[in-house]
Amino acid sequence: MNNREQYHFILIDDSKLDCFIGEKVIQNNGACRSFQSFSDAQNALEHIKIRPIDESKTILLVDINMPLMTGFEFIESFEKNIPEDKQPNYIINLLSSSINQSDIIRAKSYKSVHDFLNKPIKKDTLQAMIDSLSA
Amino acid sequence: MDSTEKIKVLYIDDEMNNLVGFKAAFRIDYNVLIANSADEGIKMLEKHPDLKVIFCDQRMPDKTGVQFFEEAAQINPQPIRMLLTGYVDIESVIEAINKGHIFRYLTKPWQEGDVRAAIEEGYKYYVTSSALTLKNLELQKANEELDKFAYSVTHDIRGPIVSMMGALEIMKDMDDPEQIKGLIEMMQQSVEKVNDLIENVHSYYSLKRGNLNIQEVNVAALLNDIISIQKVNASLNGVEINTDIEQNEAYRNDKTVLQMIINNLLSNAVKYQRNEETNKFVKISAIVKNGLLKIIVEDNGIGIDNQYLNDIFKMFFRATNENLGSGFGLYNVKDAVERLNGEISVTSEANKGSVFTVTIPGK
Repeated sequence: MNNREQYHFILIDDSKLDCFIGEKVIQNNGACRSFQSFSDAQNALEHIKIRPIDESKTILLVDINMPLMTGFEFIESFEKNIPEDKQPNYIINLLSSSINQSDIIRAKSYKSVHDFLNKPIKKDTLQAMIDSLSA
Repeated sequence: MDSTEKIKVLYIDDEMNNLVGFKAAFRIDYNVLIANSADEGIKMLEKHPDLKVIFCDQRMPDKTGVQFFEEAAQINPQPIRMLLTGYVDIESVIEAINKGHIFRYLTKPWQEGDVRAAIEEGYKYYVTSSALTLKNLELQKANEELDKFAYSVTHDIRGPIVSMMGALEIMKDMDDPEQIKGLIEMMQQSVEKVNDLIENVHSYYSLKRGNLNIQEVNVAALLNDIISIQKVNASLNGVEINTDIEQNEAYRNDKTVLQMIINNLLSNAVKYQRNEETNKFVKISAIVKNGLLKIIVEDNGIGIDNQYLNDIFKMFFRATNENLGSGFGLYNVKDAVERLNGEISVTSEANKGSVFTVTIPGK
């Protein structure tokens, strides 16, 4: 448990309340090295473009239903605009409150998407997702 | 048969005499177009999408009547197709019915009474089948809307509820009263969002299904009612509401629909303000003149980025990341304005404000 892997976290969600909840749950998890949240996917993408890479991987949590740029559009833009050698440093998880099966299927169809998580983010599901990375 | 408009009939035959005879016999009662080759017939068909009945000779040098009808059905399937044939050629009749979807065939030389009866019956069939096509299109549209609606409602209602579930979960581990208070405020916004959405769904359906209830409208009283609802929110956000009302003539319309329109525009103007603006204002003017009600709602809020101006009236479209709207309000407003045969327009500049102008004729 002591020298377990650390991750940076970036949460992208247009709902301020959901960002706040995510922040609390993630910061309480021992694997959190840093946390940042964005309410606008475009801004997050610009940030990722210029952001330096270090030894810790970054876990992205992206809400699907957002105005202006949706989670799906973010993934497509990420795959197109982030240099391919940088992409493996990011572990992308899509989030949604919808119980729509087609959303889940579409989320899992992207090669850069690691998993689909239901909202709200809970400590158990977050831990399970992190565990799946080192398994 | 429609008394004001004659049924449009096209007759295609390679023999000029037949065409002339046909036209002479029927031009008084019908709008008769003629073509003396299949190619020319196709051109006519493209030029006249409102053709109701087409007669075509089976034996023509460039194409048979069956071939012509096969092609014609691709271009416009609506007109009723009838084949004229000089031979009692059972093969070609079977082929015609199977391939060209012919309504009826007539033998040459045609009898005036037979042709007349065929046109009348064909037209009747045309009217019923096109009414059915129209209904089908309407149904298809309604179904698509319903799909979109169901998808967004599950997300938009569930979204805020899920947020509250998450908030309650983390609140269990909180001790600091200040932090808990902050969280409660955020949860309150979520509750209001669900409430707004449900109200909007309600107005959407009453608008779609309800009948208009026309009565005399006192614009000043109507506006004051709406403002009293919005006043609490406005003062909470430090927004000043100014009114300018002018009504010197009677105006009749549906009060509830008008109220829905104005209330939505006003609540948007109050809601989408810039926090840093010290002199937040909303100006609403309503003028009744020459039977027209003109409402202008102006604010100095966040405005709308020009690239989104064309989309703001679409269902579930949200032009901002400010997590306040359901993407339903302006869609309902436009729907309502159109229901009252009015017009709505908007000018806006990001970070400067928006001006919505609505004009609605009285009933």
